[in-house]
Amino acid sequence: MPYEFEEILETIKMTEIEHFDIRTVTLGISLRDCVDRNIEITKQKIYDKILKYGKNHVKYAKEVEDQYGLSIANKRIAVTPISIPFDHFKRDDFVEIAKTLDKAAEEIGIDFIAGFSALVQKGFTNGERELIESIPYALSQTKRVCSSVNVASTKAGINMDAVNLMAEAIKKTAELTKDQNSIGCAKLVVYCNVPEDNPFVAGAFHGISEPEVVLNVGISGPGVVLDAIKSAGKTDLQSLAEVIKRTVFKITRAGELVGRKVAEKHGVPFGIVDISLAPTPAEGDSIADILIAMGVEDVGAPGTTAALAMLNDSVKKAGLMASSSVGGMSGAFIPVSEDQGMIRAVQKGHLTIEKLEAMTAVCSVGLDMIAVPGDTPTSTIAGIIADECAIGMINNKTTAVRIIPAYGKKVGDTVDYGGLLGLAPIMKVSNLSCENFVGRGGRVPAPTGSLTN
Amino acid sequence: MRISEEEIRKLTLEAMSELGERATPELVKKVVEKSVAKIGSAPGKIQSDTFDSGRIILTAFGLDHAGIIAKITQAIADAECDIRDMSQKILDVFFTLIMIIDISNSPKDLKEIQTDMNKIAEEMNIKVFMQHEDLFRFMHRI
Repeated sequence: MPYEFEEILETIKMTEIEHFDIRTVTLGISLRDCVDRNIEITKQKIYDKILKYGKNHVKYAKEVEDQYGLSIANKRIAVTPISIPFDHFKRDDFVEIAKTLDKAAEEIGIDFIAGFSALVQKGFTNGERELIESIPYALSQTKRVCSSVNVASTKAGINMDAVNLMAEAIKKTAELTKDQNSIGCAKLVVYCNVPEDNPFVAGAFHGISEPEVVLNVGISGPGVVLDAIKSAGKTDLQSLAEVIKRTVFKITRAGELVGRKVAEKHGVPFGIVDISLAPTPAEGDSIADILIAMGVEDVGAPGTTAALAMLNDSVKKAGLMASSSVGGMSGAFIPVSEDQGMIRAVQKGHLTIEKLEAMTAVCSVGLDMIAVPGDTPTSTIAGIIADECAIGMINNKTTAVRIIPAYGKKVGDTVDYGGLLGLAPIMKVSNLSCENFVGRGGRVPAPTGSLTN
Repeated sequence: MRISEEEIRKLTLEAMSELGERATPELVKKVVEKSVAKIGSAPGKIQSDTFDSGRIILTAFGLDHAGIIAKITQAIADAECDIRDMSQKILDVFFTLIMIIDISNSPKDLKEIQTDMNKIAEEMNIKVFMQHEDLFRFMHRI
């Protein structure tokens, strides 16, 4: 037999017991040729183009699922950052475009479409200002549209004016979607050093250097890594890193296979595999549980950051060996509301925003899906975003903030979104003010590339 | 399908060695152009590392009882599939079966065979998984 009995059983165990699935296959579609002076014609062009490439997306993904007995959790679409081709439109036009994206997503049968985005790390065009202003309305009047704005980068510094505008947009979105626990904010990401090929919604978009259409894949598999660590028993850290790498290598290979097959069916180029470990609210599919299995008592304990750094690095190393098309975020995600273990740690008071912030310095994303009291001042949210951007800017890495100032909620409350977005306990935020700092506006200059101590 | 320059070069060299002494620039050009057109029109023949071997790995688990293999192999024979390899173990009271099956000559597609197997699985109170061999090759072979 060309495969060992154990090898076959290992794969079956991963797919059937340990929740190994492909987290997302995301079809990136360029909308740069959909421009017209007339908003109605523009809308029609956008709709037609998304349908043209995307109409079989779900069907093809399902066919590949059956073929490999491997489930693909999400089928999604990312488009060109809307502010780029449609820069000449006004706020209300952008809301109309968002509705068109929503309609196209509904027609295709997908749950999220991402790319209602702008890249403003250095400064704004008029259209980008209009788009940012339209975000709260767009997100409150659509169900499937996700938005992201890049406000900082290592090359450009931090655009504090954009940070302030985004803090306002987040507060406004929370208010406009207050009837649904401020769910709009769960679809809004503020970035530093955003990758252009990230397949993970809400922060996905089809970058400007990408081809006409491309298929990217995000793998998952915290459950698989967790079981591997548990069965490794008491080993030293080098051996543990080996265990993680071996496991991630295999799941990355499976991810690449699935991506290539779906791309082949579409007849479009295969882009990248994003080797991020993405948790889901399902029991056992948790990054927090991995950290606990590595040996910390709970997430938030001293040593958590070190454990996470090692996990993240091992994931990257294994992924790079397994695939020549690694891209996107590629690391470990630590969203609070989407991870049972993280939720538990927050509820027990073990994990605070401050510790989470330290963890984001070594993991792949940032402060993700954290709910804070609804009366958190706008300037404080801007401060949190600025802190996160600073970590990304200085360390040359992607960081992001997806924060939900849940309207009318206080510390101790929880907001329940159900499904993949999960359950978010409201976290305590420092009462100290940073208003006079963020209120200065302008730009934090780009950092030096030398004297890096 | 697009053919890379590298492949055309290889094709040209092959045509030259095949034609031997008869090879003239014109003749080689003609032969190569003809072959390129032929390959180009062949549907779905993309040479990639996700090459489709047409082989499926079937795995079955459950409490051991009489007739499991008989049922499964009958269904495979009915679907005109070829069993390439087979390994079966009984661990305590637990039955495990792994088979490599070639379904490329079957009139049924994978989905239909899976549906047949699911029926058997239910009937025999076991679990049957059918997955494309590529998945195992990708995960366990470099």
